[in-house]
Amino acid sequence: MSAVPAPVSRTVGVALILIGIGATFVSMGIGLDQYGRWGARYFPLGGSLALLILGVAELWSAKPSPKTDRQHLPAIGALLLLSVVYIWAISAFGYLLSTALAAPLALYIFGVRNLIGLCAAAVLCPAIYHSIFFVVLGVFPPLGAWFDLLDVIGGY
Amino acid sequence: MDIFTALATVLGDPILLGWVFLAAIVGMIVGAIPGLTASAAIAMLLPLTFYMEPLPALAFLYVIGKSGRYGGSIAAILFNTPGTAASAATQLDGYPLARQGKAGKAMKVATISSVIGDFTGEILLIIGVAWIASIALKLGPPELFAVYFAAFIVIGSVIGKSVTRGLASAALGVLVAMIGLDPISSTERFTFGNFDLTNGISLVPLMIGIFVLGEVFTQLEERGAKTELVPNSDNDAERNGLSWAEYKPCIPHVIRSSFIGSFIGMLPGLGSAIAAFVAYGEGKRRARNPEEWGKGALEGVAAPEAANNAVSGPSMAPLLTLGIPGSTIGAILIGVFLIHGIQIGPTMFLTSRDLVFALFACGLIGIVMYGVIGYFGAAFIGKFITRISPQVLYPLIFLTSFVAAYTSRGNLFDVYVMVAAGFAGWGMRKLQFNPAALVISFVLASGAEETFRQALLLSDNGLMIFVTRPIALAFLLIGVAAMIARVRSLNKQSRAARLGDT
Repeated sequence: MSAVPAPVSRTVGVALILIGIGATFVSMGIGLDQYGRWGARYFPLGGSLALLILGVAELWSAKPSPKTDRQHLPAIGALLLLSVVYIWAISAFGYLLSTALAAPLALYIFGVRNLIGLCAAAVLCPAIYHSIFFVVLGVFPPLGAWFDLLDVIGGY
Repeated sequence: MDIFTALATVLGDPILLGWVFLAAIVGMIVGAIPGLTASAAIAMLLPLTFYMEPLPALAFLYVIGKSGRYGGSIAAILFNTPGTAASAATQLDGYPLARQGKAGKAMKVATISSVIGDFTGEILLIIGVAWIASIALKLGPPELFAVYFAAFIVIGSVIGKSVTRGLASAALGVLVAMIGLDPISSTERFTFGNFDLTNGISLVPLMIGIFVLGEVFTQLEERGAKTELVPNSDNDAERNGLSWAEYKPCIPHVIRSSFIGSFIGMLPGLGSAIAAFVAYGEGKRRARNPEEWGKGALEGVAAPEAANNAVSGPSMAPLLTLGIPGSTIGAILIGVFLIHGIQIGPTMFLTSRDLVFALFACGLIGIVMYGVIGYFGAAFIGKFITRISPQVLYPLIFLTSFVAAYTSRGNLFDVYVMVAAGFAGWGMRKLQFNPAALVISFVLASGAEETFRQALLLSDNGLMIFVTRPIALAFLLIGVAAMIARVRSLNKQSRAARLGDT
């Protein structure tokens, strides 16, 4: 139901139906309250069934649509991978070291190729973010489980 | 009278004025950067405000929202790229004016119209909000649930290009909000045995993911697109100065559009973009010179800008009176209220009356500040933005989103949530889903569920309670009618498009 055909209607319709079915099953597994009433189930079930019905509606009104642009998917995939690895690296090596690696990589993915700029980002980004958030604002930094540069520097 | 006391208090606090001034500048810059929205900036800056007092925190984010709406016009006029969706209507006449060498004149018209529109909306909010709150206090759970239901349907179906995908976004928001423990029975819902999920999904990482990281993913696809300033002629006083005779024909459009924007602003979910286009269409229909609209009419800049900014104040009305955010910025501000322990809803005018009016006062002062800065400095801001390289800006935003998501609760799980939300937000935009509807529904879901379950406890006839109470029934019908109207309108557009093709 849109003025111009929305992209990949059939796939989206099928995906919504599958999510709706899955969520409905999970919702039906939510425990009843002490009086045997459905209290905690109503909204999850309502949302799940709504998704299921909307998926059917999407599939019903599916029209051929132009193919979606996939030219940038490798870069998107690289940024997503960097995001996940960055969080894991923070938990393993602390904020400073992981940000020193993530900053130049993020710039590289966005097309920055200047070596001095990338090196400067590796030094400045962790220093500036650490100073603002963990020193000035007083947030407790995420410490690395395996190694943390802050231990070496002597900050903590 | 409360507002005059609040104005005196705010004007006597230089630190608070400093925050409002900073917000006016930040909002304007962010709004003017194509692709970056005030919502994204507010979501990113939200964790910083956890460490501030409630009033400066709220005022800072509220004024960024106002100034950001205006900032979009800078990009629309100077770069032919609307900084925000709402300023796309301004672009229709703003850019032709810039190409005629009248960018400065167009910016001045946009600034004055924005200020008048924003003032109108803010004053209507100040006058009307306490009255709406007093009515809201009389609504029981069935009526409140019906209001939530109408909000879900309107938000899901009216914004965006596809009704089914908009409603699906709203349903997804409800499901995400259900993750964790049921607040009444403590039953686990959608946790899949994961301990982190029992605490539920936090609003802040979800918003940072969808509005900030999602935008970074989107901007990755726009790499290489350059923002170029239209060659202007700042020194040409005749072309870029604005006389009273030139602005006078804009005034009826500005007044009409201000009221259009204020009315649309009160309705949850519709937002600035719809207000701007409705005002533009209505202005062109009533204009003495409709043939000039779209080719560089000053009235064509004034009308959408006034409406776009008039939305800002009234969009706070459903938030402050019912706890229902009327916009994405409203949804984010809920986070600030909650963090500072302020209960939103009709009782807010009993418990935090001074804070609410001080916030309104900050809004009024913020309008004056961005008006003055914009009138004299919009061209400088335009030049400044062309010097910001998106290749550097977006990686920095990427890094900021991680530390901001972590800061909200000091928890790396929230950062994973932020990344998942960011990728989902990008995918939703790409597939014409509606990320804003997901976030607003996420915020609404807990209140809607609470009122629904309270209503059922009150009822002797189960769900019939929603049909037998006239106000509840009226709101349910409003929701359904809005959806039907939207489907009919889209079908009409689709038929027109098909006829145009043949």
